[in-house]
Amino acid sequence: MQAELARVPEADVSLRMPEVGSKGEWAVGLAMLVQLSLNGLALGLLYALPAFGIALIYNATGLFNYSQGDLLTLGGYLMLTVFGVWHLPYPIAVLVVLGATLALGYAMGSIYFFPMLIQKFGPSVILIGTVALSVAIVNAVLLLWGPMAKSYENVFGNKAFQFGDMYIMPHVFWIFGIVAVLVILLQYLFTKTITGLAMRAVAQNYVAAQLMGIKVNQIIPLTIALSTVLAAISGILITPIQPLTPQLGGLLATKAFASVLIGGMGSMSGALVGGAIVGISETLIATLVTPTYKDVFTFLVVVSFLLFRPGGIFRRIEVEKV
Amino acid sequence: MRLGNFLRKNALAVIALVLVIFPLTSPPDYQFYIVERSLQNAILAIGLVILLGYTGPLSLGHAGLLATGAYTYGILATKAHWPLWLAFLAAPVVAGVIGLALGFPSLRLKGPFLMVVTIAFGEIVRIVALNEEELTGGPYGLQGIPRLINNDLGVYYLMVAATMLVAIATLRLHRSRIGLALLSIKEDPLVTGVMGVDVSNYKVMAFVLSAALAGLSGAFFAMLTRYLNPDSFTILDSATYLLMVVLGGMDSVVGAILASGVVTALPEILRFMERARLLVYAIILLLVIWGPSTGVYKKLEDRFGRKSVVAPGVKLVDRG
Repeated sequence: MQAELARVPEADVSLRMPEVGSKGEWAVGLAMLVQLSLNGLALGLLYALPAFGIALIYNATGLFNYSQGDLLTLGGYLMLTVFGVWHLPYPIAVLVVLGATLALGYAMGSIYFFPMLIQKFGPSVILIGTVALSVAIVNAVLLLWGPMAKSYENVFGNKAFQFGDMYIMPHVFWIFGIVAVLVILLQYLFTKTITGLAMRAVAQNYVAAQLMGIKVNQIIPLTIALSTVLAAISGILITPIQPLTPQLGGLLATKAFASVLIGGMGSMSGALVGGAIVGISETLIATLVTPTYKDVFTFLVVVSFLLFRPGGIFRRIEVEKV
Repeated sequence: MRLGNFLRKNALAVIALVLVIFPLTSPPDYQFYIVERSLQNAILAIGLVILLGYTGPLSLGHAGLLATGAYTYGILATKAHWPLWLAFLAAPVVAGVIGLALGFPSLRLKGPFLMVVTIAFGEIVRIVALNEEELTGGPYGLQGIPRLINNDLGVYYLMVAATMLVAIATLRLHRSRIGLALLSIKEDPLVTGVMGVDVSNYKVMAFVLSAALAGLSGAFFAMLTRYLNPDSFTILDSATYLLMVVLGGMDSVVGAILASGVVTALPEILRFMERARLLVYAIILLLVIWGPSTGVYKKLEDRFGRKSVVAPGVKLVDRG
């Protein structure tokens, strides 16, 4: 207690001297807080992409895809091979990976999800299937790329920008920019194109959409492909922040679920806000409180959201008819 | 045909007989261990039959409840030096109390949302077990757990007896008023409530029963392995238990016992594949779930498919 009291005037005195390193604790603290929040936000936006994918699949099929996180890891590992090993130029490598995951997602949708849905398998069975799919992907990655944590060259540069006391890595800004562009593209897709409109129609009412002549057997796999691509983009962007490990996906899946449940299933903004909340709070808690129990905290927040505000922040009010 | 009928009618008795005779054939230790693990898994699977098969909610957190039971027994036996039988009884009680807490979210949440809560629960248990080293041994594990009966056959027969008791009790539950209430909740909670059944009460009850059985299974798990490590209680394990129930036919106790035997033995049979083992295992599980409609699948489909009580034509008019 005495030590606490003694430190306060010292901090006040040092405030008047603006040299680096001797600044007031709270000023340094504030800079650190902003820096951590920005890093957390970047991470949170990467949770938001697979989270939005989860929401897309949920709205179209009423199912959760547990393997979403592992598709993210798979995207990262494909990038590791295409860019890190084959040394293709970065934009081309990105396109190759996105094309591959688009095909994979479409195949998954038309081979697994759609037939199961049509044959009216119970959601619990399809869900257990996605857990099995997740385990299959993790072990395939383990076999192909090995158990060690891997990373490749950070294309966005390793030199941090300095703003006063804050040091911010360039990839943080790149992530902000890329996600912003993606949001605009998705908004365009969903409001201005026929395919996007069809996806929304299927999400709203499957039977009615089918009666209106929408090819449900193509739109549902396409929705799943889109969400796979979103996860893969997140996997490509995450490498500068976290090295790739085969088990990364399970952890990220729970974070993505957390984001979408906190933010809300209905819209892109729900996933973005939810992701930002999860990313920022997780980073702050890991640094300021305890790194061991940061995930427990996230889970507790999710559970309380589910219990006390089901539907998340941006909730759609659904009235259940009897 | 008559043999088939006989087997079907007395399936439980036949299984019990086979299990009692099995050790007399002096099987290799490894096979014996797999059968023991199957029995332990069967107890948990029966618990899941009550929850998923009879009542409906989906839980991907039963590995966490298994861990709760296993660590309760392990810690009370090794660290607190409780009498072993008391520690053994404490395992299902503690898991049941946690099941009570886990039951309440099920009143407000449905399907996939409830599933996320159970995933969160399972992960929290695993993270706590991993980090509270003083209590659980953390990643190094909890070692030297004593057995209730310090002899292989004793534990085995205790487990056979427990499995059979649990199976018979569950079958009786199925036919009782409580069982009817649970089945009716699965069909339609709203109508059940209107009929004057206390839906919340029965739902929570199903969770508690299922959790207590998971805890009992956990105590046996601790006795079998005599070493506990958080890695044994992942979400894959939860999914594997669910799979036993699904393969067994959702609401069949005998099916769950047989399926837990198959699912427990499968990864051991695949052991020769070494590093590809889990990949092949997962792919087999996926194929089993997805696979084309063979006889078993037809049955599954009938159980899972939305049964329309009203004729299709009437429905169309109704929807207008």
